[in-house]
Amino acid sequence: MDHDRPDPDLLLKKMKDEEARTQSGRLRVFLGMCPGVGKTFSMLRAAQSKMEEGCDVVIGIVETHGRADTIALLKSLPLIARKKIDYKGVVLEEMDIDAILKRKPTLVLVDELAHTNVPSSRHAKRYQDVTELLDAGIDVFTTINVQHLESRKDLVEKVTGVPVRETVPDTLLERADQIEVIDITPEELLKRLKAGRVYLGDRAERAAENFFKQDTLTALREIALRFTAEKVDHELQQFHDVKTNSKPWQSSERLMVAVGHSPYSPFLIRATRRLAYSLEAPWIAVYVDTGIKLNSTDQEQLAKNIALARELKAEVVTTTDTDIPQALKRVARQKNVTQIVVGRPSKRWIRDFIEGGSLLERLVKDSQDIDVHVIRQEKLQLQSGFSFRNLNFESGFIAYWNALWFFIGIGFLSGFIEPYIGYRAVGFLFLLGVLTVGRVGMMGPVMFAALISAVGWNFFFIPPRLTFSISTPEDLIMCLTYFAVALITGTLTSRVRRHELLLRDRENRTNVLYEVLKDISTSSAKSEFLERVAIRIGQVLDGEAGVVLKTRDGRITERIEMSYHIKLDDKELAVAQWSFANRKVAGWSTDTLANSKYLFIPLDGNTEVVGVLVFKPRLDQKLSVEQDNLLRSVCRQLGLSLERHFSEKRLIEAEKLKDSEKLHQTLLNSISHEMRTPLTVILGSASALSDDAVMKTEELRKELASEITSAGERLNRVIENLLDMSRLNSGALAIKKEWHDVHDLITAALSRVNQIRDRQRIRLNVSLDLPLVEMDFRLLQHAVSNVIFNAITYAPGDSEICLTAEVTNGQLSIVVDDRGPGIPEESIPVLFDKFYRVPGSPTGGTGLGLSIVKSIVEFHSGTVTVENREGGGARFRMLLPIGELPAMPKEKDDEDFNRR
Amino acid sequence: MTKILIADDEESIRRVLKLNLESKGFEVEQCALGNDVVRLMRSKAPDQRPNLIVLDLGLPDINGAEVLREIRKWSKIPIIVLTASDEESLKVALLEDGADDYMTKPFSPLELVARINVALRHHKGDVSDAPIFESAGLRVDLPNKSIQLNGQPIRLTTTEFSLLTVLIKNAGQVVGQETLLREVWGANATENSHYLRIYIGALRKKLELNPGSPQHILTEPGVGYRIV
Repeated sequence: MDHDRPDPDLLLKKMKDEEARTQSGRLRVFLGMCPGVGKTFSMLRAAQSKMEEGCDVVIGIVETHGRADTIALLKSLPLIARKKIDYKGVVLEEMDIDAILKRKPTLVLVDELAHTNVPSSRHAKRYQDVTELLDAGIDVFTTINVQHLESRKDLVEKVTGVPVRETVPDTLLERADQIEVIDITPEELLKRLKAGRVYLGDRAERAAENFFKQDTLTALREIALRFTAEKVDHELQQFHDVKTNSKPWQSSERLMVAVGHSPYSPFLIRATRRLAYSLEAPWIAVYVDTGIKLNSTDQEQLAKNIALARELKAEVVTTTDTDIPQALKRVARQKNVTQIVVGRPSKRWIRDFIEGGSLLERLVKDSQDIDVHVIRQEKLQLQSGFSFRNLNFESGFIAYWNALWFFIGIGFLSGFIEPYIGYRAVGFLFLLGVLTVGRVGMMGPVMFAALISAVGWNFFFIPPRLTFSISTPEDLIMCLTYFAVALITGTLTSRVRRHELLLRDRENRTNVLYEVLKDISTSSAKSEFLERVAIRIGQVLDGEAGVVLKTRDGRITERIEMSYHIKLDDKELAVAQWSFANRKVAGWSTDTLANSKYLFIPLDGNTEVVGVLVFKPRLDQKLSVEQDNLLRSVCRQLGLSLERHFSEKRLIEAEKLKDSEKLHQTLLNSISHEMRTPLTVILGSASALSDDAVMKTEELRKELASEITSAGERLNRVIENLLDMSRLNSGALAIKKEWHDVHDLITAALSRVNQIRDRQRIRLNVSLDLPLVEMDFRLLQHAVSNVIFNAITYAPGDSEICLTAEVTNGQLSIVVDDRGPGIPEESIPVLFDKFYRVPGSPTGGTGLGLSIVKSIVEFHSGTVTVENREGGGARFRMLLPIGELPAMPKEKDDEDFNRR
Repeated sequence: MTKILIADDEESIRRVLKLNLESKGFEVEQCALGNDVVRLMRSKAPDQRPNLIVLDLGLPDINGAEVLREIRKWSKIPIIVLTASDEESLKVALLEDGADDYMTKPFSPLELVARINVALRHHKGDVSDAPIFESAGLRVDLPNKSIQLNGQPIRLTTTEFSLLTVLIKNAGQVVGQETLLREVWGANATENSHYLRIYIGALRKKLELNPGSPQHILTEPGVGYRIV
């Protein structure tokens, strides 16, 4: 019973998958075994019936190839005009994806899925356009021939003998909700062909001949039908999984394939992917960087191979090691791989002998718990036999040149000392030379060194001299052994050397990542670490980097952070926007919008894309795989950090909002107290003043007038505090520092104490020799007067308040002493907090005054403290740094000019 | 009779000011709109125009600062500006644009009357032509370069004297600190406000009985100085 219950997780996954699929558009693929089976026709017919059902159908692009019945069908459907693209003077037409996205139909028809777009289009391939349309929630009908399926490419090539250039990844086909095979018998098709109803395009006659043969067609038909059957089987399996209890991954298998720069690699990758698909197992593609420098063709092939693996949804892992089998085994262990797919290796006698077995042998030797699949190798037109590439000329002829001179030097030296040590010992000198070359050079120079040293020794030293012939058999054996020893030891030294270099390289890369992390963690502001990271990326990858960030409304800004050399025009910004919205790499060196000058990499956080990294290469040279990986890792790191930063900022903003809500609340509350009280006084006094009896009494009248005045002042004070607070809160208050006289400050602060009665209570103890202090006068004046008010409010009516200003320890100290009740000990730490009021304080007051003081003083890099005085009362002490006064001009005559 | 034009959109303010000014013997005219002020000044014959304008910045139609600039294009009539903001840069800008003085709301009407009188005196040329400044024991005779405090002669340096001269020529009115710096130290010194602070401090030490709370040389925070 229990076993029949579906796993809730699995059900949820399926529901989510389905949900995602309904959010993104539905894909229906019309699959044919070859051109001419009637895919387009069937698609149009299906679309027509959809339209009759009331569905909003448009034609994105359909090729009729002049077939009358197709054209007739086409006329009944609305068409989106094609986009004209000027490419090298020729105007070409492509599907207008922007127009379709704008029009947003329910269903769009896109013919020939495998088509390659004109170079300046948004995407390199039409299937990428289709992916974008699907992601935008638009349903797509499309057509494809079986030969264009990535996983069937090799098979089709073998059957037809015609190379296939355009392919579509199987992952897209897996997305299809429906695959419809347009199936006709080969006989029927051949009949059509004879009747001239099949468009062959501009393909060569021979290719067509190859294609349209009975047996070829039968084979192609089988491939198409089998592909569909597999897909159906797979769906059935999935359905089965949900109904019965099973793991998300059908098998516990994990597959791994090694990816290199070989043109064979794609074949292996596809084979692995097919295997993984049928096993429903995850798979990993590993690239081992052995430290051998690749030429640009190989680099490109490698990048292509890795991109292919990525496209086919492999987990791509790169690792560095000079020993490939060892690296593969290491990764396999780390990733719990159960099956490794390798190609049938070619024999390389010397290398295999040195390395102790071929790659395959070594891989199999001690990995008992891993299955190793050896895939048959298709013959490719490749150069065979000795490859100059192995000599590694990239390291430069200069290395060979240097090696040559080095050995000429050793030769001369040996010439001098040979009489003393004998010609056999000279061989060791040469061996030493080979080892030295191995220490500094790569494989090529080492082999070269081994060769010339063996030849040189033989020619110049082994008797008979100055001939290549060798007189005694033991010398012959020695010379040959010497060559082998030199070769092996030289190669091994060079290998050790390369290993060291690799380690250093890897360390460098780790260092860059580490530095980036450090940059991020040690920078306080976002702009600061962005700048540092950008500079670092620029240095490491030889280019310029910048970041465009997401704004609150979910778009990205035009403003480039931290780069002066990158300017995005509207077009580039659109690429950035695309990369941002689709969460995909775009621009330079990618398949999408490749004619952009910049490379755009979305900065992915955990839950959202926070921006786009813009990279501008200095030279138009593709990034190597390692550089690409590094850039991706840095972007990942940057994305996570920025996301964290943004969420922190949002948190702070939420806090601020809460604060300002509280401010509003307090404002409202204080209206009842702080504002209504003086208003009541004013209204009351005014009405009393209108009383005739009162008007007659001079004394009473004056008293009422002064009541009105002080109530007005009180109102003014509340307003000023609230204004200050909201300004300080919003951070909009621009601080304007100038040098000011402290006496002016104190006079101005006191002038805000309006009541004469209160002014008389204040005893000033201000030193006459106070230096100028750099300050924002208005702010500091408010701070000082707030402290004075505080004293006036809390100290008993007639007690003295003392204001002292002096310089102590190089700081300006302003102290206000009162004889009030003092501050309860427990209130001291929170006294300067916003809205805090000492319990039991007289009514009125907002709890803002002292928090304003603190903010202002801290704006001036100063401190404000409070303590209780001996003998009662509180002491507020503000300490402000004085700073160094800028120079003054010398007065022409600083003498008393009126002394004359 | 001296005629004062009050331009403020708040009727209560106009009424309070009218009451206060009329009690001091001024004749008062009122405007609620900036355009009205400009029109009134343009349309009337010179002898019919007001002698001074009290101009609120926050007028509903055109900004008071606009009105000020417009009138200053062709008239030297004294203008005192009322503002609700205590933004220093705004005040400085107003003085630069030709305002004779400003007052920040809330203010005491008595203070306004005093400022009005000073501005009127200046306009008539009473002060700038008067070579001798006398106030509460301080006597400065500019032509003879003699300064006395309570009958005692005071010695000043050249710079101090030229600073004092600029202040006295505008006695009672605020002189912007940029103006002071320009007049005394030259056009390049307008940023160096600390020159001014130091020399004003020195002047106060010599001319004030209590330099800590000066009676003559008053600071208008962030704007400038005024001698009374």
